[in-house]
Amino acid sequence: MSEKYLAQPDLAFIDEVVGFGAEDLKKCYQCATCSVACPIAPDNSPFPRKEMIAASWGLKDKLISNGDIWLCHQCGDCSDLCPRDAKPGDVLAAVRYAAINEYAQPKFLANAVKDPKKLPFLLGIPAIWFAILAYITMTGGDAMTKLFHNFGLEWSHGGHDVIAHANFISTWFVDLTFVPLAAFVVIVFGLGLKRFVADIHANAVAEGKTDKKTLDLKGFFQAIIKVLPTVLKHDKFNECTTNQDRATPHMMVLYSFIGLFVVTNIFFVVLYVFHLPGPYSQLNPVKWLANISGAALVIGSVLMIKNRMDKKDQVSSYKDWYILGLVLALGVTGLLTEMSRLAGSEYISYFIYYLHLIAIFNLFAFLPFSKMAHLVYRFTAMSYAEYGNRK
Amino acid sequence: MTTDKSAPAGGSIMVVGGGISGLTTALEAAEVGYEVFLVEKEPSLGGRVSQLKQYFPKLCPPTCGLEINYRRIKDNPRIKVITMAEVEKVDGAPGDYTVKVKISPRYVNENCTACGECAKVCESEISNEFNFGMDRRKAAYLPHNMAFPSRYVMAPSMSADDREKCKEACKFDAIDFDMQEKTLDFKVGAIVWATGWKPYDAARIDNLGFGRYQNVITNMMLERLASTNGPTQGKILRPSDDKAPETIGFVQCAGSRDENHLPYCSYICCMASLKHATYLRAQYPDAKIYIYYIDLRTPGRKYENFYKKLKEDENIFFVKGKVAEVGEESATGNVTLIAEDTISGEKIHQTVDMLVLATGMQPNTSVDKPNADLQFNADGFIVNDFKKGGMFGAGCANKPADVVTSNQNATGMALKAIQTLVRR
Repeated sequence: MSEKYLAQPDLAFIDEVVGFGAEDLKKCYQCATCSVACPIAPDNSPFPRKEMIAASWGLKDKLISNGDIWLCHQCGDCSDLCPRDAKPGDVLAAVRYAAINEYAQPKFLANAVKDPKKLPFLLGIPAIWFAILAYITMTGGDAMTKLFHNFGLEWSHGGHDVIAHANFISTWFVDLTFVPLAAFVVIVFGLGLKRFVADIHANAVAEGKTDKKTLDLKGFFQAIIKVLPTVLKHDKFNECTTNQDRATPHMMVLYSFIGLFVVTNIFFVVLYVFHLPGPYSQLNPVKWLANISGAALVIGSVLMIKNRMDKKDQVSSYKDWYILGLVLALGVTGLLTEMSRLAGSEYISYFIYYLHLIAIFNLFAFLPFSKMAHLVYRFTAMSYAEYGNRK
Repeated sequence: MTTDKSAPAGGSIMVVGGGISGLTTALEAAEVGYEVFLVEKEPSLGGRVSQLKQYFPKLCPPTCGLEINYRRIKDNPRIKVITMAEVEKVDGAPGDYTVKVKISPRYVNENCTACGECAKVCESEISNEFNFGMDRRKAAYLPHNMAFPSRYVMAPSMSADDREKCKEACKFDAIDFDMQEKTLDFKVGAIVWATGWKPYDAARIDNLGFGRYQNVITNMMLERLASTNGPTQGKILRPSDDKAPETIGFVQCAGSRDENHLPYCSYICCMASLKHATYLRAQYPDAKIYIYYIDLRTPGRKYENFYKKLKEDENIFFVKGKVAEVGEESATGNVTLIAEDTISGEKIHQTVDMLVLATGMQPNTSVDKPNADLQFNADGFIVNDFKKGGMFGAGCANKPADVVTSNQNATGMALKAIQTLVRR
């Protein structure tokens, strides 16, 4: 234990985590059942008992920079055995969300994503944006063609005898929206991670959770490589018992995102390098991957939503529903866009595609601010634990 | 068969349960001059206290308290003790109750001198529930050596062959297998429910291994192991191999203060485990004793002093952290446990020879609700309505309590019962 520590309770932080789903936090009486129940808590300074008291005392600094909160996969074993029904699993989930909020910049976006009242804006901004782009694409084709020719570029990527969404919102517009957005996301994550890694290292050193004194990038990188298979196979997730049924749907969603990421990149290259515009044949293997991923995304997210609805003893708050709803909407609109296109309903397909773009925008632009950011922070924290020999 | 054994309406008190609380209420009321029916479902009075080796904090045997009370009962013609009897139904209002009581046959009449000749010839055996099933006893048995009334019981499961043999062996013509179950109606003015408690079923605490691992026992089982009239004649030996335990762990709050089990604190388990440490220390001067707790509750000067004295023992270790996982080493039968020591912040993996679960008290009324106009709280304890009067819960039927508190409470309820009668 550290020698001297001046506790600095942050009362607003307590309210914040309670709002994020830690509503029964104060019931905890520190019996430490949770630390033993947790299948992945290490022997040295295990979690989540100490996090429970830190959260109820509002010790924000001890929690936000604590890598351990990310090692938790919210399997629910601790909440199950908790004699006070204080739901440590949900408390850690809430603390993680508070940490995401802390590391995400700019702050106003982080605040907007966590606030259900701001949802109309989050959906409305891309809705207006894509409506403008659709209007320009549909009405200003000639002007745009001329404009693009000045740069030696082909404006239209749409076919004329098939339903092509490029005729509704230009692929140029879509990519000119999402490529800079991707850069923005990478920058936000980069800045967040820089602080995050430094913080969790400092915390681990202070609390004796690592044998490493300094942060050596080469070692850290090796740890990342080592942790990758664990994440992909969901090894840690599978150590859970209570919420084991969540591991498979989660894996489906993860893999479908990887699949769709691959598909998007391939088609991007095909379009801009080989100048072959979509829609592509259903016989194309890349299309198979896209369809399988889309189906897995829908099934996985439906299962996860059902799981949350069935588990009455688990707290689900806005942060959870926002992201699950978004993932489901993404999958459903994606598949319906394709189906209605194949069915030949041009304007229905356009409309659904429009909704699809709004969903993608939300997921993408707000990635560093939503619960989805766990993907980056957990992976980093797990890598750090590997690097720092957290056993 | 229903016989009317009516007492003058409003004149008598029924006490349900003949444990330490019921005995106290019955005696206090009778010694003021009221007629009392003391109804006990077991074949003997004494209740849970008779299963203990010693009371805390004075560490004197329960025989002393019980024997004084039995003496007082014998001397007092106003107390009618009815054993093997259960209240089936209560009708009426304060001052005028009709209580239907079902009496099971003992198959032994008042001639019995407890000579034990029947048990010698009886070959049928039954599980000995007085020792929590840790041994077996003859189907012709004396409930225990402190039984009151001191009369044998013939278990209904006894074979026909053994019934004949027992009857023949009895020189006093005390055995009568023609006895039938009967139902009697009693007219009483007030009823005190001293129905007591039972140990919480430890097998329901899944993560603590009771029932799966032989050397995981409960605190009440340890009382029996330590008692000279217990299955090991008072030598504390672990169940799997009768080995003298060298390291013993205690799990405090096993199934208590736990929303998944009993949500309340049973009040006595901390003191009970400390007392058990003294039992162990008396037999094993070098044994290492580990007490895992959330917080030790030893209220009051006497209990605090008791705790303070035990803390001086170098081989008693108090670990702040609840045991949450228990396993077994199959080769040795040793018990492995995991807890987080919340002071050091390290997880402890320990192996002990024997693990004692400090389980709490579950009111019998929560399992077997009396068929009477009573109020219960969410945990099944009787909530006393003094305004209404007439019926009262006493002792552990009212709240988890130690013997001293139960007796104080039982005395108070005797007064409440009397007030019900006098006000009419």
